[in-house]
Amino acid sequence: MTTPATTTPTAGPAAVRPRPVGRGRVIIAYRWEITKLVAQARTRATLAVCLIAPFVFVVLLDRQDRLPKDTLYGRWVHASGFATPLLILGFAAQWVFPLLTSIVAGDIFASEDQHGTWKTILTRSHSRSQIFWAKSLAAATFAVLVVTVLALSCLTAGVLLVGHQPLEGLSGTLLPPGRTAGLVLAAWATALPPLLGFTALGIMLSVLTRSSPAGIVGPIILGLLMQLYAFLNGADTIRHLLLVTPFDAWHGLFAAHPYYGPLRDGTFVSVAYIVICLAVAFTALRRRDITGG
Amino acid sequence: MVDGVPAVEAVGLVKRFGGLTAVDHVDLRVDVGEVYGILGPNGAGKTTFLRMLFGLIRPDAGTLRVFGRTWAEAGPAMLDGVAGFIESPRFYPYLSGRRNLELLAGLDGGDADSRIDQVLDVVDLAGRAGDKVGGYSFGMRQRLGVAASLLRDPRLLVLDEPANGLDPAGIRDMRALVTRLAGSGLTVLLSSHNMDEVEEICDNVTIMRTGRVVYHGSIDQLRAQAPDPSHRLATSDDEQAMRLSAEHPAVSVTAHHDGGLALRAQTADADGYLIALGRAGVAVRALHLEIAPLESLFFMLTETDPATGSAPAGLPRQPRDLTGATP
Ligand SMILES: Nc1ncnc2c1ncn2[C@@H]1O[C@H](COP(=O)(O)OP(=O)(O)OP(=O)(O)O)[C@@H](O)[C@H]1O
Ligand SMILES: [Mg+2]
Repeated sequence: MTTPATTTPTAGPAAVRPRPVGRGRVIIAYRWEITKLVAQARTRATLAVCLIAPFVFVVLLDRQDRLPKDTLYGRWVHASGFATPLLILGFAAQWVFPLLTSIVAGDIFASEDQHGTWKTILTRSHSRSQIFWAKSLAAATFAVLVVTVLALSCLTAGVLLVGHQPLEGLSGTLLPPGRTAGLVLAAWATALPPLLGFTALGIMLSVLTRSSPAGIVGPIILGLLMQLYAFLNGADTIRHLLLVTPFDAWHGLFAAHPYYGPLRDGTFVSVAYIVICLAVAFTALRRRDITGG
Repeated sequence: MVDGVPAVEAVGLVKRFGGLTAVDHVDLRVDVGEVYGILGPNGAGKTTFLRMLFGLIRPDAGTLRVFGRTWAEAGPAMLDGVAGFIESPRFYPYLSGRRNLELLAGLDGGDADSRIDQVLDVVDLAGRAGDKVGGYSFGMRQRLGVAASLLRDPRLLVLDEPANGLDPAGIRDMRALVTRLAGSGLTVLLSSHNMDEVEEICDNVTIMRTGRVVYHGSIDQLRAQAPDPSHRLATSDDEQAMRLSAEHPAVSVTAHHDGGLALRAQTADADGYLIALGRAGVAVRALHLEIAPLESLFFMLTETDPATGSAPAGLPRQPRDLTGATP
């Protein structure tokens, strides 16, 4: 029989029978986030495109005489296979990198709103913080994976279909093939910090808007606006604070006397974006009321 | 009376959405082992209350303890031994039913995944567990929701309008399942807007209306306060039937607004009156129950002005005295 609650109970948690339930762990939630990503056609398709597109690109380029001369290493694409990954790297910074990461990062939180499944996972022994880190980690994993696949595929396509001729550095000296492959991969690796910056941006928009389209398109539009600002020769200090500027930091690696200043500054800026965006997203997710679904 | 820590204890719980107070100083106590109903019409605040119980939304005031723990103290550990669903259960449509359960069992930890086959059997979904949830019917998803809850091997099962949207057979099965689970010692807290359902399976009930508790107590207490059952009566001579009712003070006979007569009386009193009608040569042509007593009580509680008869906010509300009330 029920009695009205007039006093607060004197018995504390100690009076509760303990139950052997696993405490939530980020690694468990992370594994399931990865499983969910693998089960989604969109993520598989993105990886497949990254794997195949460079080969298609090289074949198409091979058939035409006009070269993309305006782009860095554009005039070299027929002369050395190492130019292909660098040409694509320069081009990808415009909107492809933001798109590749936000396909997952912009959706991974909002899709729980879309499916109404927040209440399903948040009532199963895991805290919001744990779910947050698991999802952020999964989005970062995908970002790194997709860029690795794209980089290797570009390099392979170039070397297989064009050849491993020596490549000219940006200062005009020829680079030996063995060193070039390493330099190309290093150049792609410098794209990771700003890429993860866009991942964090996608995560933040995904949490704040609770909408996948906004989470996916938002980073692309912001990236293009930043490009536009840089293109219009805005103030230099602001240009250094843009998340697209670090995508050019690899140029320093191909100089006769390599310089790493832009790489260092770019990494710093990227980390700042990551910290701020994740902090905003984390706070918003912890505070919000889950009323949908 | 059950001693010890109650399964659920809410004191002065408040939740506001902007200017609207969805849950307004609600006190509620569910003891271990009972089947407790939260009853209320649409918008009463049942779902909002249960969302607070699951830590999905934060109360603006008051405390809510589950097995003695608050969300602030224990975090998700507050939900140890608690399972259930809010509104209709939701799953990942691109995963199969079984895969969804595996995911949730993984998050639960412990030995939850060893129970998957068993719970699929309980809800009769074993044959369709390999299909993607996106292709499930509403009722199948509801059953998967029950399976997902049982996976946690709960001591407290919280169900928000579990029969909502189910067909009659589904409703029957759901009630049978809840009754069976309750029989095994599980504490059940369920919300409903259906008096029949609550009367059938609950021991105790809280009735809410626009965020406030308008009644709480046992179903038996509630029955005792219910008004007389209301029947519609057709006779061969309504005028004489009316006159005869004057000799039976325990029955009330009035003209029914749709023609014929309205008879309001407890069953025994009605029997006496109907026999008297026959003796007097008045034939009873039809008699049927119009509103079940608890249902009419529910309407009275949730449609009349809550300001009259309800205790001051923040205090536990005693069952209202309804003897003088009219529907
Ligand atoms: N996210 C929200 N924002 C604003 N108001 C809300 C929100 N969620 C609920 N409400 C309001 O709170 C009140 C209680 O809603 P709640 O869903 O708890 O009712 P309920 O008793 O579950 O009703 P039903 O029987 O229709 O499910 C309603 O007036 C509703 O409009
Ligand atoms: Mg509801």
